[in-house]
Amino acid sequence: MTQAFRLAAGGAIDRSHRLAFEFDGLRYEGCLGDTLASALLANGVHLVARSFKYHRPRGIFAAGSEEPNALVQLARGHRTEPNVPATMVELFDGLVAASQNRWPSLDVDVGALAGTLSRFLPAGFYYKTFMWPATAKAWLGYERFIRAAAGMGRAAIEPDPDRYEHQYAHCDVLIVGGGPAGLAAARAAASSGVRLIVCDEGPHFGGSLVGESASIDGVDASAWIDGTVAALAANPDVTLLPRTTAFGCYDGNMVGLLERATDHMSAPPAFAPRRRLWKIRARAIVLATGAHERAIAYANNDLPGTMLAGAARTYVRRYAVQPGTRAVVFTTNDSAYATALALQDAGVAVAGIVDARAEAEIAGSLPRRARAAGLPIDADSVVVGARGGKRVASVDVRSASRTRRLDCDLVCVSGGWSPVLNLFSQARGTLRYDEALAAFLPESSSSVLPAGAANGRFGLAAALSDGHSAGLRAATGGAASRLSAPQTEREASGAPRTLWSVTSKRGAKRFVDLQDDVTADDIALAAREGYTSVEHLKRYTTLGMGPDQGKTGNLIGLALLAEATGRTIPQVGTTTFRPPYTPVTMGAFPGQESGAHVEPTRYSAMHDWHVEHGAGFVNAGLWRRPHSYPRAGESPEDAANREAKNVRANVGVVDVSTLGKIELQGRDVAEFLNRIYANRWDTLAVGRCRYGLMLREDGIVLDDGTTSQLASTHYLMTTTTVNAVKVMQHLERALQLDWPELEVYVTSVTEQWAAAALSGPKARDVLQRLVDIDVSNAAFPFLAVGECRVRAPDGTIPARLLRMSYSGELAYEIHVPADAGRAMWEAVIAAGEPFGLMPYGTEAMTTLRIEKGHIVVGAEADGRTTADDLGLGNLVNAAKWCIGKPLLERPALKAADRWQLVGLTALDGAPMPRAAKIVVDPDRAAPNPMLGHVTSWCWSPNLDAWIALALLARGRERHGQVLWAVSPLADAKVRVKIGPACFIDPQGERLRV
Amino acid sequence: MSERDRGSPSTQPGHYGEAGTGVTFAEATIAAAWNVQGDAERGAFAHETQRLFGVQLPVAPNTIAQSDSVSALWLGPESWLLLARNMSPLADFQATRDSLNTAGGALFDVSASRVAWTMAGPQAATVLAKSCPVDFHPRAFPSRTCAQSLLGHVNALFVRDADTFTLLVARSFARDVWHALTESAAQYGYDVGPQARYR
Repeated sequence: MTQAFRLAAGGAIDRSHRLAFEFDGLRYEGCLGDTLASALLANGVHLVARSFKYHRPRGIFAAGSEEPNALVQLARGHRTEPNVPATMVELFDGLVAASQNRWPSLDVDVGALAGTLSRFLPAGFYYKTFMWPATAKAWLGYERFIRAAAGMGRAAIEPDPDRYEHQYAHCDVLIVGGGPAGLAAARAAASSGVRLIVCDEGPHFGGSLVGESASIDGVDASAWIDGTVAALAANPDVTLLPRTTAFGCYDGNMVGLLERATDHMSAPPAFAPRRRLWKIRARAIVLATGAHERAIAYANNDLPGTMLAGAARTYVRRYAVQPGTRAVVFTTNDSAYATALALQDAGVAVAGIVDARAEAEIAGSLPRRARAAGLPIDADSVVVGARGGKRVASVDVRSASRTRRLDCDLVCVSGGWSPVLNLFSQARGTLRYDEALAAFLPESSSSVLPAGAANGRFGLAAALSDGHSAGLRAATGGAASRLSAPQTEREASGAPRTLWSVTSKRGAKRFVDLQDDVTADDIALAAREGYTSVEHLKRYTTLGMGPDQGKTGNLIGLALLAEATGRTIPQVGTTTFRPPYTPVTMGAFPGQESGAHVEPTRYSAMHDWHVEHGAGFVNAGLWRRPHSYPRAGESPEDAANREAKNVRANVGVVDVSTLGKIELQGRDVAEFLNRIYANRWDTLAVGRCRYGLMLREDGIVLDDGTTSQLASTHYLMTTTTVNAVKVMQHLERALQLDWPELEVYVTSVTEQWAAAALSGPKARDVLQRLVDIDVSNAAFPFLAVGECRVRAPDGTIPARLLRMSYSGELAYEIHVPADAGRAMWEAVIAAGEPFGLMPYGTEAMTTLRIEKGHIVVGAEADGRTTADDLGLGNLVNAAKWCIGKPLLERPALKAADRWQLVGLTALDGAPMPRAAKIVVDPDRAAPNPMLGHVTSWCWSPNLDAWIALALLARGRERHGQVLWAVSPLADAKVRVKIGPACFIDPQGERLRV
Repeated sequence: MSERDRGSPSTQPGHYGEAGTGVTFAEATIAAAWNVQGDAERGAFAHETQRLFGVQLPVAPNTIAQSDSVSALWLGPESWLLLARNMSPLADFQATRDSLNTAGGALFDVSASRVAWTMAGPQAATVLAKSCPVDFHPRAFPSRTCAQSLLGHVNALFVRDADTFTLLVARSFARDVWHALTESAAQYGYDVGPQARYR
């Protein structure tokens, strides 16, 4: 088709740059600068949607984000996006869009039957109809049909292929809206040298001024826009954000904005995000958000061809489109006369201007011009109703003396203007109702300054001067400026009249909220049924819900509620303005923090070696740790069993870089350790380390680890991997709040040191080949600590050597600066080769520690256990005070029936069930009294048995008993023998050899 | 293999992403770094740090003091990060630690704890500000100052010298941060320069 309704001249579109697009499977052409809506109108397409509830035919109603009707489904497949207003879609070559909520087609829609049955679909229809039977299941059944019949577009099912990102920014002044008021504010603010950000939801700045023929400061409007924008763009302290909607105003002047970065491109650049969520902190905010025109509720005011008067003018002036061939303008104010004049200019016949005001009130300069242009004006008249099928064909106009029919295919409506105050209200600004303008206007404000139409200053001249002064106030607090406000000719406008609805014969639908199919009668019915609070009215009728949030209809709805309940509009009030102002893509909220970046991942210095040697990985906190190193054909479990067995038979090495490491220095470290740990520390000597137990203030076990004395005033503490941060915070809190007088300094060195634990009867043989110090048992006994150098192919590496054991075997930890972690690891692997050394992962490490009955934080030390529960009561030194000790005296923590750590061995060769509880009789009916639960379990390749650690009531008294471990969830049970929580070498001889 | 265990985007010198160079990254290798702690108002401690490093520790938040051999970055009321400029000026860590301990302070070797990159180019601040709420404008974050904040989920230390930022993150997070940073920078095009010593 050939853009039959495109004007030959004018507009801010590029006729030479044609763009092909598809709507409902048909191909059309538009121009660069078009929106999907303007391009459809240029091609004479007026039926673009079916309504939400009644499936009534609908056309394009607005020209901006307030559009209630023309919601379309954009693109296909994984990029498809529902409920996008066609008025906000910039046309690009190859754009694909489809109408929504119709079947089989827009033209022939089976769902339109709902329209003929509409008498039976009153407000609150669902609540009234689908109440029986009153079960959740019944509603779920109904819901399927309701969802299919009523509705919006479809969400994509496939994963979103696009990238989204966040952008933080800071400025002195944020100006929301780049129309005449916003540009005047920006020009004024920029002149004072502040940091400025100006955003506009459209692709170009200028707002309502684009395509208009006004003269500002002696130049034509488009030249003024271009000049102002160019000056702003050239200023390094100004950021211009087109295609960016400020959707929310939050505490501390934080504004959330959504930038549609690449939606308008046929072929988006490969690396750009599709949308960008801005979080801008501004010292001051100017809201030049303009005003939304209101509809008037008359019969069949939803027929395609019905349009807000300002929108019709935008289509003519900005997009050079004839939105119809014969128009009727229905207004309560002067602004629609500009539309009538524009239509006449564009060759659209104006059948009549129907003005609700009396002849004497129609005295502004625009009506005067309309009269002069010979346009017919019906004063003191209203449109009672429209007729037509899929497009308006005529309207009935009622005046004092008569009712007559006017043929037309376009009705331009103006029921007045409502300032856009969503952000103002979100920023806790208060509103007042202005009777003369029939609108809520901003009243008090903190640092958010409304300007122009948003401030109730209508007309170009008022917008420019109000914007100018708001910009200066925001930037400088109102200091005098040499820059004067932009000047333009001031229109003399007459007062508007308040008109919300026009009564007509019963049964005709007078829509208040087009998007949600809420009529004037629905509101009256809801009021009769007692829904007199505006918040209840919204929820009962759905007035003001949905993607458009009732931008063109809310005020009419609450005015009708006021009428129906005999109250004033201020008494009824508005519903709460909540963010977002317009819908925000979900993907923009996580932004770049999705996929692999949902949380950060930590890698040890040896990670690549593990990858190269076939390790499987497991998450330990944020760390990726090797689970095991399966050989060809080996399962991870078999690999772990092989590795665990090899540690007890030969020697293994495990990456323990993830352990928390904290260094302490200062005169008072020993005293500090005495207070922090339950056991005694002032007897530690340089070159020695010790196992330590930390308690919370309530006496419960916090963490276990070791501390080594490296020098007289220098110590190294290790913590469990998961508790590294928690322990550091615990120490810092104690030093800063409890004992600031102690001269102790702490720092985390987890990142500084890569560490490997070398474990097994042959560990010393391997180590002696690696290091330059004597590591014989005499020279370097159990719990010795020292410094040495590790021999590596590229030179020796300085290291800290700690003789301690988690596996229960002869073992050493080798700590080296993380830079040298991989070189050290490879040196260990090479030195170990003749001794059968194998690397082992966390799974074998767990098996080894369960065999030894060593606790881990989280499983055994689960935030409820005391040292005594865990069999570590002897570590709580009786002779000294420590954190947690006083509250350890509570009777309940010393009760005889506390759960105590025991070892379990599965009998009958059955595997240990996961997450089992321990009972006397496995077959007793629920609730089966629980004596305790399994905390850790594994297959022990060294014992050839399933073993577990468990917390069991009076556990230490039960050694030798046989009980049952049952898992009702897994439907598994096994007989278990209770014993001490140590299965191998209870005397600890192997680690001291 | 999980996506997390695969290698991260290349660190080899070259051009990546869109045409044009919005950001130039280069790893700044750190020869030596120490965390110095102590009460800067205590004469002995101030005197010892001055003697050992030739620098007066800065006490104003987020400021930096420099000598020929080190940059001293304010980290907190009693804590500084000393970064060796080019080569390590310390011959004997233990003796230095002992003398600072004696003076009532502390010296921790953190030379391998952090990975640093310099970031320059017209979009360097923009790329950082995608994941960090700090205001990187030169008037808010002047040259020769530093700031600590989050970059995404990760603690980061930012240093500014004229139009070049140095970003320091804990070593174990570096691969992840590099991945995220380069993903953000690709839309502007970025160069990876050769490694250079931290200056």
